Amino acid sequence: MSEAGARDWGIVKGEIMTETIIKTENLHKTYTSGAVKTHALRGVSLEIPRGSFTCIVGPSGHGKSTLMHLIGGLDRPSDGTVHIDGTELSGLGNRELAAVRAKRIGFVFQFFNLLQSLTAQENVEVAMMLAGVPEKDQAERARALLAQVGLAEKCAARPSELSGGQQQRVAIARALANSPDILLMDEPTGNLDSAAEAEVLELLFSLHRQGKTIVIVTHNNDIARQAQQVIRVSDGVISD
Amino acid sequence: MNSAKLVVRNITRRRGRFIFTLAGIAIGIASFVTFLSLGGSLKNEIKREATALGANLVVIPKSACVYEQVSILTGEQLAATITMEEVAKIRAINGLAAVPCLTEKTAINNRPVPVMGVLPADMQRFKGWEIGAGSYFGSPDEPGAVIGAVTARQFGLQPGSTVTVRGERLPVKGVLKESGGKDDLTIFLPLAVAQKLFKSGNLVSFVAVKVDDLAKVDGYITKIKETVSLGVVSDQQMLKSVLSIVGTVNVTLQLIAAVSVLAAAFGIINTMLTATYERKREIGILQALGARNSTIFTLFLMESAGYGVLGGIAGVVGGLMFSAFAAPYIGQNAFTAFVKGSDVAGIFDVKVMAGSILFSAIVAILAGVYPAWRAARLSPVEAISYE
Repeated sequence: MSEAGARDWGIVKGEIMTETIIKTENLHKTYTSGAVKTHALRGVSLEIPRGSFTCIVGPSGHGKSTLMHLIGGLDRPSDGTVHIDGTELSGLGNRELAAVRAKRIGFVFQFFNLLQSLTAQENVEVAMMLAGVPEKDQAERARALLAQVGLAEKCAARPSELSGGQQQRVAIARALANSPDILLMDEPTGNLDSAAEAEVLELLFSLHRQGKTIVIVTHNNDIARQAQQVIRVSDGVISD
Repeated sequence: MNSAKLVVRNITRRRGRFIFTLAGIAIGIASFVTFLSLGGSLKNEIKREATALGANLVVIPKSACVYEQVSILTGEQLAATITMEEVAKIRAINGLAAVPCLTEKTAINNRPVPVMGVLPADMQRFKGWEIGAGSYFGSPDEPGAVIGAVTARQFGLQPGSTVTVRGERLPVKGVLKESGGKDDLTIFLPLAVAQKLFKSGNLVSFVAVKVDDLAKVDGYITKIKETVSLGVVSDQQMLKSVLSIVGTVNVTLQLIAAVSVLAAAFGIINTMLTATYERKREIGILQALGARNSTIFTLFLMESAGYGVLGGIAGVVGGLMFSAFAAPYIGQNAFTAFVKGSDVAGIFDVKVMAGSILFSAIVAILAGVYPAWRAARLSPVEAISYE
């Protein structure tokens, strides 16, 4: 068992707000490559309460990431609907969908996905720039966010100068840049050693305690055990 | 952070590629600016020479074409075919002053120098020459030379020294005051002396005519044509035809330069397409962070425009430096002779500079449209999953 799994992160499983912030109905996603059709999702319906800590688990290639992409508005479903805080995403144009991604959802990926030519602070500022935050307001908030994730001293460092755990914390600071209610994470600790994993998880649980809705796609059963809600995806459908 | 900063970071991250792409567009623009500047300088010099000629009309052989007109303006050697009898008939017409000129060439220290045979007193009156050093010709057939200021300086000639023309050592009588025209580059001899040295008998190359009443210039042309069987061209006509040739040459050269800019544009397309492939994942990250398709398109187009503006500036600087310092020494002919000694400040035309940078930016923006469109139409999932 990893260090992460051995600790109690302070999540009180019984305390889930009843208000739904993410809702999918009969979600289908089919990929077509030539004559071959792959059904990645086949009728997924779920509800995720506001302020909850939810894990989406399941075997590789069974539709977890696809589900996260659809919830995050990075892709459009072949059929079905996604509601984010009452907004139906499939009814939105590309411009509105981009605005949802910019302001209402923060993404964190397994491989950090920082822009290598920018410093830690600039990586956070880019997210604000894309959300239309004036340049004069960006620097102070970016520094505050980096301080929040324990990287106050690393504002000027480039990603190549940071450890994996530090890069992932920069990515989390970037995800928080526009104060989204929802954080969507795809294997956020999948590329970290156990010490870094523990640091990042501590940060995530702390954010959850501050009221963020956290949705993590993971293979890590230790994280899933800590979640208030676990959604198992298998063969493109939710299994019990 | 703003879009411009992000673009600068992206554009400079691959320094080698950045420099080579920039060099491509800079070289294209530099050649464009060089041809444009030299063309403009050439036109200005031709206009100045036409003014310095001091004539309203020029009488030339009937068979003379534009080349002969260029030669009159540049002081190039011109065949002597007009007889002194014809000159006398022209000079006899009331209301005009006519001076015959024999244009030839000699060499000093193996460098070609224009020689002009003139009627000393008439020509001084005609041109309003002033003597800078020494004296002027004392009689119409006095063996001696009066030298233009630039030639005198170039070859160390001064009153009292001698100049050899066609093997004949002639004393330098005086040096003309600098006028800024081709007279500064010319050795003047009395017409009779020049005709003897160059064995042109009693023939001259052309006759420069100044009329008393400019409003009646057409009447004078008719009168001269009725009097002698020669061609007459006004200074304005001459200027127009010479400028038209220069204009054609300029346009041709500029088209060649434009092709090199076009070739550089393909370099930009290549660079930007490579950037699109290399940064596919980053495009996906930006999309995940909320970048709209139009934002991605604009960022890539700005990057491309950046190449155009920076390359344009580098090209303009390089082109102007080349025009000002190197081009006049490339060769000597009827055209480049004009440029030599011309005012360097005249080459720095703000319109040329701004126009060239704008042209470079427009070409680069057009070159960036396809790569930017490719980048903007990437699906976020496809881009972010790119390994």
